Amino acid sequence: MSKKPDWLKVEYSAAAVNEVAALMKELKLNTVCNEANCPNLGECFGKHTATFMILGSRCTRNCTFCNVTHARPEPVDPSEPKNLAEAVKKLGLKHVVITQVTRDDLKDGGAGQFAACLNELHELCPNTTTEVLISDMKGSKESYDTVLAARPNVLNHNVETVKELYSVVRPQANYERSLELLRYCKEKAPDILTKTGFMVGLGETEEQIDSLMDDLLKVGCDILTIGQYLQPSEKHYKLVRYVTPEEFDALKEKALRKGFKYVASSPLVRSSYRAAEALGVSGKKE
Amino acid sequence: MKKNVVMPSLKENMKEGVLCAWLKEEGEAYKKGDVLFEVETEKVVSQVKADSDGVIVKKFAEEGDSVDVNAIVAEVSEN
Repeated sequence: MSKKPDWLKVEYSAAAVNEVAALMKELKLNTVCNEANCPNLGECFGKHTATFMILGSRCTRNCTFCNVTHARPEPVDPSEPKNLAEAVKKLGLKHVVITQVTRDDLKDGGAGQFAACLNELHELCPNTTTEVLISDMKGSKESYDTVLAARPNVLNHNVETVKELYSVVRPQANYERSLELLRYCKEKAPDILTKTGFMVGLGETEEQIDSLMDDLLKVGCDILTIGQYLQPSEKHYKLVRYVTPEEFDALKEKALRKGFKYVASSPLVRSSYRAAEALGVSGKKE
Repeated sequence: MKKNVVMPSLKENMKEGVLCAWLKEEGEAYKKGDVLFEVETEKVVSQVKADSDGVIVKKFAEEGDSVDVNAIVAEVSEN
């Protein structure tokens, strides 16, 4: 393990973490916080917030930066949408983020399950705002239509890295397909905010980041998150460098100057970290 | 009341963690929420906080030790 810089310290309280973890287990729900070994788990669970990961805990893709298990996926759980809404109600969330494992084995890529979850949430927690963080669903416009028809407040799809690193970081994904997803969704439902995020520290150059931001603005992306790549284990994509907090501030300034409506940029930012802030709401009910 | 503080499981399937720094000494009192020690994992350094007020009675792990999850790192006295 390389020595961690001082800005990569996070707090952990066992009591708070165990309480949220127990609720997830009781309702047979997965969180990306846990599956991706998110560094903010202690803080978010401590504040009784979490990002739900639907459609199982096994992913059909094998991205070299990601800690989520790559394996044959589980069957889709029909009780998941109801359980998820129940958990959101119990946690008292004012804003909820739902993500997924990529399900290339499903015809709709999991779009139907997203819609079912959103419908349950609208029913049980009508005042909770919703954000979906979707895979590219193999580029299926029909799948995007299904998700958009269920009316999330924010549609997020992460580009994860610059175009030039796709082949080594996201070998089963496609840069243009991700841009097209964001473009199509904005065109189809202009009132739904579109959002994306990328990591730094993978070896990208400043010019490549510039081009990436320009490409994202061309497809109308509203919200941008930028965070440090943290290598999950020795066998994952090798960390190139730790980007300083000052560099993150400079990236944020640049992105805002270019035209993004909201930008979160700091070492521990993840796409769903304090996601409610982009909507101007706190994550918890008052 | 005396109790043991153990190495927490900071992620799924964690087997052990490196206790990289103690922030309290033996005999030192602490408040609920104070950071007792730091654990380094692959991604970050986690600061492990106290769940109650108390005093560190005895440490069973030193800085730099690799400690199994749930193994005792200190005996403490808490109210």
